[in-house]
Parts: sequence; C-alpha cells; structure tokens
Amino acid sequence: MEVRLNRVEFMTELVPMQGVVERRTTIPVLSHILLRAVGSTLQIAATDLEVSLTSWCQAEVQEEGAVTIQAKKLLEIVRASSSDDITLRIDQPEVLTLLAGKSVFRIRGLPEDDFPSLANVDEGQALRVPFPSFRSMVSKIFFAISSEESRFQLNGALLELQNDLLALVATDGHRLALVEMRHEGLEEEEGVLVPRKALQELQRFEGEDLEFRRGPHHLSFIVGRRQLICRILEGTFPDYERVISKENDKVVKVDRKSLDAAIKRVGLLTGERTRAIRMELSEGQLVFSAANPDLGEAREEVECDYEGEALSLGVNPDYLGQFLSACDTERVRLELKDENAQCIAYPVDGHDKRYVCVIMPIRL
Amino acid sequence: MTQIHILDEHLISQIAAGEVVERPASVIKELVENAIDAAAKDVRVELEVGGKRRIVVADDGSGMDGDDALLAFDRHATSKIAAFDDLEQVATLGFRGEALASIAAVSRVELRTAVTPGDGHLVRIEGGRVRSVEPASHPRGTRLEVASLFFNVPARRKFTKRPQTELRRSMEVVQGYALAHPEVRFQVDHEGRTLLEAAPVEDDGEGVRQRIGQIFGRDAGRQLQEIPIEFVGEEEAISGFVGRQGAGRGRRSFVFVNRRLVRDRQIMARFYRAVRDTWKSEDYPSLYLFVDLPPQEVDVNVHPQKSEVRFRDPYFVDRIEDALRVTLELARGEEAAPLRLPQGPLPVVPAWEGLGGAGGMGSTVGSQRDAFGGRPGAPPEYDASPPAPSEIAEGGAAQPWPSAGREGAPSQIAHASVVPPKPAMVPLSGRSGEARPFRILGQYKGTMILLEGPDGLYLIDQHVAHERLLYERLRRNMAQSRPASQQLLHPILLELAGSEAMRLEELGPALEECGFGVDRLSGNTVALRALPVVLSVEAGEAIVQRLATEDGEEVSDVTHLRRRLLDDLAADMSCKGAIKMHHPLTMEEMQQLVTELFQAEQPYACPHGRPVVLQMTDVELERRFGRR
Repeated sequence: MEVRLNRVEFMTELVPMQGVVERRTTIPVLSHILLRAVGSTLQIAATDLEVSLTSWCQAEVQEEGAVTIQAKKLLEIVRASSSDDITLRIDQPEVLTLLAGKSVFRIRGLPEDDFPSLANVDEGQALRVPFPSFRSMVSKIFFAISSEESRFQLNGALLELQNDLLALVATDGHRLALVEMRHEGLEEEEGVLVPRKALQELQRFEGEDLEFRRGPHHLSFIVGRRQLICRILEGTFPDYERVISKENDKVVKVDRKSLDAAIKRVGLLTGERTRAIRMELSEGQLVFSAANPDLGEAREEVECDYEGEALSLGVNPDYLGQFLSACDTERVRLELKDENAQCIAYPVDGHDKRYVCVIMPIRL
Repeated sequence: MTQIHILDEHLISQIAAGEVVERPASVIKELVENAIDAAAKDVRVELEVGGKRRIVVADDGSGMDGDDALLAFDRHATSKIAAFDDLEQVATLGFRGEALASIAAVSRVELRTAVTPGDGHLVRIEGGRVRSVEPASHPRGTRLEVASLFFNVPARRKFTKRPQTELRRSMEVVQGYALAHPEVRFQVDHEGRTLLEAAPVEDDGEGVRQRIGQIFGRDAGRQLQEIPIEFVGEEEAISGFVGRQGAGRGRRSFVFVNRRLVRDRQIMARFYRAVRDTWKSEDYPSLYLFVDLPPQEVDVNVHPQKSEVRFRDPYFVDRIEDALRVTLELARGEEAAPLRLPQGPLPVVPAWEGLGGAGGMGSTVGSQRDAFGGRPGAPPEYDASPPAPSEIAEGGAAQPWPSAGREGAPSQIAHASVVPPKPAMVPLSGRSGEARPFRILGQYKGTMILLEGPDGLYLIDQHVAHERLLYERLRRNMAQSRPASQQLLHPILLELAGSEAMRLEELGPALEECGFGVDRLSGNTVALRALPVVLSVEAGEAIVQRLATEDGEEVSDVTHLRRRLLDDLAADMSCKGAIKMHHPLTMEEMQQLVTELFQAEQPYACPHGRPVVLQMTDVELERRFGRR
C-alpha cells in the first residue's frame, strides 16, 4: 500500500472514529481503525462490534493495500504533523510508514484480516431526511435515554415511522421525552430501537441529508461520506402514549430561561443522591425550594401565567432542567394534575410537530 | 360441690387438636403429608379465605377402603407404624395418628376416597362426630375437604390472622413439600387464582434446581452452588444448594431431613456460623439443604409438629457444617484471608492522657457523644427510640423542607448529620506505665492504615472504614426524614412465588412509608411503581426482592422495616462516597479516620459485612519468628 493524501482532510475523518473505537478492550483490534487504499480513495473504518463507522478521503493511490492501526495514536501523530500532505506506505507486513514533512513514523499495526467484518446494510428502501432536523431531534430526547445497564431495552431510543411522522422517544423509567417531525411520503410503519452510542456519535456529524436504512439486524445512517451502522437493540419499548396524560388540567405558562436558571440555582442545595426540589404553584407564581440537612436550604420565585388551585409537588431539577435546555422556544407550558401525577412539559410555539417531556414526580 | 371433674371425650379431643392444628397452614401440612405418604404423584390444594373457610387437598395416591376411611379419624389411628419398635424406623412423614382426628374435631370434614376407581366412599364428620358414611364414585386417591375450621373453637378462631397472612403461611408449607418432592406435581389455587403450579421433574439435583426455578422464578434456579457430590455417602447424604455470593437476592432457607421440612435451630446456627466464617459476611445466602439418613439415625419425634430433629450421631451436625463450608467457599470462588478479626472489643476510646492540657480526652469524648444525643457507649438516637409511625407521617417528615410560607422567612434548618470530631484523639506515642492505646505506623500501599495496638498489629482497610463512617452518618441523617420517593413512568413487574407476593402485599403500607410503592397485580406479579430517590432502579428492585423472600414474623411493623430499609439504603450509598483504595492519606487524615472509626457504633464490619479491621497478635507474630 502506498497513498498520499491531504492531512486536514484525513484528520477530519479520523476524529469521529475515536468515539467508536473501544479504549479499554480485551480484543486489541477494536482499538484500531482499518485503513484501506482502493481506487482513488483511502477508506477508513472503526467498530466496537455494536456500532461501526466508515468514511473515506481523497487520495493518490500508488499501490492498493490495507492495515489496521491504533486509532488514538494515529490521530495524535496526524494532528501533531505540520505538513500539508501525508504519505502512508507499507514496506513490511503490519508496519505502517507515515511520512509527513521531514518526520518519519513506523507504526506497528495488526493484519487486515483481524479486523471484524462489518455488517452490510445497503439493500432495501432508503429514507431521506434533512440531517440538521434529525440531529436536533436527537438532542431533544438524548438526555432521557437510560444508562442503567440492567435495563438494556431502555439504553436506546425508539425511532418510529408512521402516518407521515418520524418520531424519536426515550425514557429511563423516571421521565420520557418524545419528539415528532412531519415527513411526507412515509408509508411503511415501523419502530426500531437505536442504541445510545449510535445516537451519540450521530450528533457529531455534519451534513445536509441523512439516508436511513434498516437491515434484518442492523441500521445504517449515511451522512455525506460517513456511514454509521449499528446493531438494532432488542427488546420491547414501553407503551409511551399511555403516560402522556390528557387529564392534566392545571396549565402553567412560564418563561423558559428564567425557569431553567431558577431550577438550577435551587438545585444547588439538593443532595448528590437525593436530587429533589419542591415546586409550589399558585396564582401567578411558581416557588421552588430545596433543603438538605447537611447544606442548608434555598428558595426562589418565578412569575408565571396560571390561574387555578394551588399545587405542590416534588421534582428532580435535572430532569426538568435538561428538557428546558433542549427546548429552543421562549416560553414553555407545564401541565399538572396533582402531586402524584406526572408533570408534562411542552415548548410553546415550537417548530416541531410535537415535543413533549413527561416527568414523574417525587413524593417528598 | 366438687371443683375437679373429668373432661368429656369431646372436649379432650378439642384440646388435643389444638396442639396439632393451630391454623389453616397446619391442616394443609398434615393433609399434604398424608398425600405424599400415600405415594401421590399429583397434589392439588384449593383454598378459600386463606383456608379459613375451606381447604381442599386432593391427591392421586393409594386411597383408603371403607373401613380405613372411618378408622382414619380415630385418635392414634395410623397406617404408618404398628408397634413401638417401628418408631425407630419411621420413614413416612406422619406417624402419630393424631392429625385427621384433630382436624375433624375442630371443623367440618368431607372425605372422598377410593382404592379402585369408581368404588369409593364418602365420609362426613362435623366437630369430631360422624354424620354420614355412604358409597360414592371417586377416582383413585383421596380428597379431603375441611370447611369452617375452628367453627366450634371460638378461642382458636380468634387467634387466626388475616386471610392474607394465613394464605401466605399455607403457601410456605406447600412450597416446602414441593421442594422436597420434585417428582410430585403440585398445584395451589386460592379462590380460583392459581398461585403455584409445579410440573413434576426428575428426583435428583438437577430436578431440585428446576423445582426451585418453578417456585421462585427461573433466576433463583440459576444462581446456585450445588453441595459437592462427596457428601453423598452409602447411608447418609448431604446435598442441596447454596446461593452464590452477590446473587444475594433473598434469604430463602429450607432444610429437609429425610424429605421433611424442619426448622432446626442447630442446623441453622451452624449455617450462619459457616457463612460468617467463610464469607466474612452477614449477608446470608439462600439455602436449600437436603439431609438423608437411615430413619433409625434420626429422631423426629421431638416435637408434635416434627419441626425439630435430633441426630443419633452427635458429630453428624459437624459433617453438615463441613459440607456447607466447602460449598460456601465454592460459591464465593476465592480463598479466605489468613488474618483474623480482632478478638474481644477494641478499646473504643484511647485512654492515654499524657501531653494533654485543657480540653483533655475525657471531655472531648463527652461532647462528641452529646452531639448525637445518646448515652456514652450506646448507639446514637437512631436506635434508642425509633419514631412512632404517626410522627413519621406528619411533622417529622416535612421538617427538613422549608415551609410554604410566602414571606420566604428562613425556616428551621434540620440538624446536620455530620459533627466534626475533635482532633488529636489518638496520641502518637505513649510512655511506659501509662495506658498505651494505638500508634499510627503509617499507610500501606495507599490502601491500609497500620496501627500498633497494645496487643498486636492492626490493619485497617481505609475504604471500608470510611464507608462504615459514612454509613452511620447517612443512617442518622435519613432516620430524621421520610425518604423522597420517585414515581416510575412504567411500573417494574416482579414475578414472585405466591407466598412472596403475599408478603409484599402485607408489607405494602410499611414500604410506602419508606418511599417504595408496591401493588399486587394478577397472579403472583407485583408492580413496583415508586422507589426511594436515592436508589437506582436496580438497587431498589434488589431490596424489594430481598424483603419478599425473607423469613420472619410480624414483618409489617413499620418501625422495624424502616430501620431495615434505612440500613440498606445507607449501605448502598456510603460505598460510593468513601475514599477509594490506592489513595494516599496524610498522617492527619489517618488520625481523623481512625479516631472517628473507634467512636463508631460498629467499627468492625462495613455495611456489607466485610471486615474493617484485621489483627495480627503479638503471640502470632512471635510464633512466626520462631520465638515461641
């Protein structure tokens, strides 16, 4: 193998690979990326067996060939180089010679055959969605994905396609976030669980269009020259429409930024493990308070539009805060019922077809 | 007028009945035993109102002919022994011949039985008096229906508990026999709901494992370490399973001697001791122990309910303990540490008073104790008088929260749980003639603190020691307020054995008080709809599982449960906040830690039961150096 390519272009493609490779692994090749010179490109691939990412760079290929190289070290070297061009060459098996300006690196790699073969999801009908909208949807539900490993079916988000709607839903058992986008021309109905890590990596991508495909066991997301393939998360996702109660009759409208700031301030005085603040609603105002025997207490008032009975409930400030930070509207609407019923939060006049966050209360 | 008179036969039998028949569960016990002794392969139990209204036990065993069917209800009528010498050889479950007579004396009994299908008999007895005997068609086997238990003994009736409680006890009885006889099919229905259904499996180790899975859920069957085959001999056999360490969900313990479920204190004491010694832990795993030996080697006639046993060979219990120890080590998967736990109490407060000026040792310690509001040497207020349930529900709970006052005036802030200990409680050196407590020698590999004590070398695990301190702080802290409870979007469903689901139902109000929300759904499914905020879903689920499977009476007591849960919560939380291994400490930090540790309620073991302090005595050190 011998190729010559632009350093900046190469580096741009190496960066997202880092999120996919495993840092600590018992299988050494999983901390490597695969480099393969074909035609007039250098193809790059990384995988942790769950999620894999492939991309390519323009390259002058003198001789085709392939090798795997430790991902982190390769990026460090490329980043530290100062020349515009880089030459990669294999003179002896599994050793990559990297020439950049006046520096020469000989880097030990592993044989190409050790690299796991990646799933192929190129067949079937593709769904095309504007990528910026999709990425914004992911950011609106990502925080609600569970990270408790024992509840693996919640370690991802549900991607649903139905009735001209594209929906993403995530829950960790305490709260749930749902976002919907109108997308004309969806006929097939389907729902599939996308693992957390795939969504996390997708958020780093840039591009105009997303091409989505579903294989029997894998999903493929293509954005520009990058293709991310992930295993479909097995399991049943809870029935989410049921928890979005229609009976919450106490409706509050409030300025998003001042609400967010107040909650974050009062939340400072909650315990590390007992994240709970009290929210007291009365005509025209919301009062947040927190107390911790070891720290002290805090209280803050926020003005709001509300006419109705007074109500008090406990809520995790992080859950509410994450929703408020993900919203992009000036005001938000909270729908409440009583201290045992879920708090349902919506943006007011948002661009999404529907964006909602359901937060279960804490009994204090 | 004479004051002493002879009781009539009827009254005598009612009194005697009380010894055998205490509650619905004891009726079920006797009837299921009879079914098994009759070689039944299928035993079905039906109950109404926890067995108080109606109990039916039907089997496909050998059945009885007409004469036997009547004779069975006479006191001391039994098919199981004939002469005194037979008592030595008892191989059946029942033998005293009291059971049916006693049951019949205090209820309305209907017996249908047949040796050959179709040619059967129906006997009706009420309060011990035969009402009718007639031929009846019945498949091979026996069906006994016991209605209106204790209808003629109001005193006894009053002492039966709520139907739920009685039902749970009955389930526990049947579960016991189902474990002992995996080859028999068992089914229990309560008012049309099937609580237990266990298909017959092989009568061997694997079969028992499957049966455990049938009763307690598949997971329970998997997390088991089998007692090695070497304990199965020609005449006697010790077999069964111990739960793996860390699988510690629940403390189910079942001991069977010749397939008879016993609650033998001696065996359980040996088991607990083996766990403490082998695992260095108070976290007792599940136990399913089967002891089989020739009938003449064991006396089961100690107690009318046959729940205690006596072995002829006094060393047999030692062999049981050996088997348990070996299995526990296998279950643990590692060797025990060579150091020992300190014997006897550590001096709680160093007595050395040299170098001291104002504010000497004694007064400092005193004020420390006062801060907790407890007596010196006694555990702080937490244990002294747990708050009454009503207090918890009202003022006590809301206290740490600011009042809803509009004016925003600062409310009373609850007392902080951390009282900074006064420094320099452990002197660095001592002079001869004075009490010489401890001297900190230093830190070993950033993990252990080495102490020179009056009688040897002490090693303190810094992580575990800190964990212990945090745990005690948290427990004091949490005892003050009702734990905040996070409601769940979708309840977590737990599949449990019948008795376990019932137990959780009984515990419901107490659990609620502690931040859990538990609902019984159909069958034996329990929905967990809220958890204390401080717990992860995983940890919360584990605690509820453990509560469901624990033995113990009067569990619905709120204060007791609250204390237990606080312990669990605190244990879970303190581990995460504690300083880790390989964390260098300065001399001052070590002093502070050791000082506080020696004032702890329990400085020896961490909340999970791991030791905090190990000792190498002077004697031992000298011996190793060849001086003794």
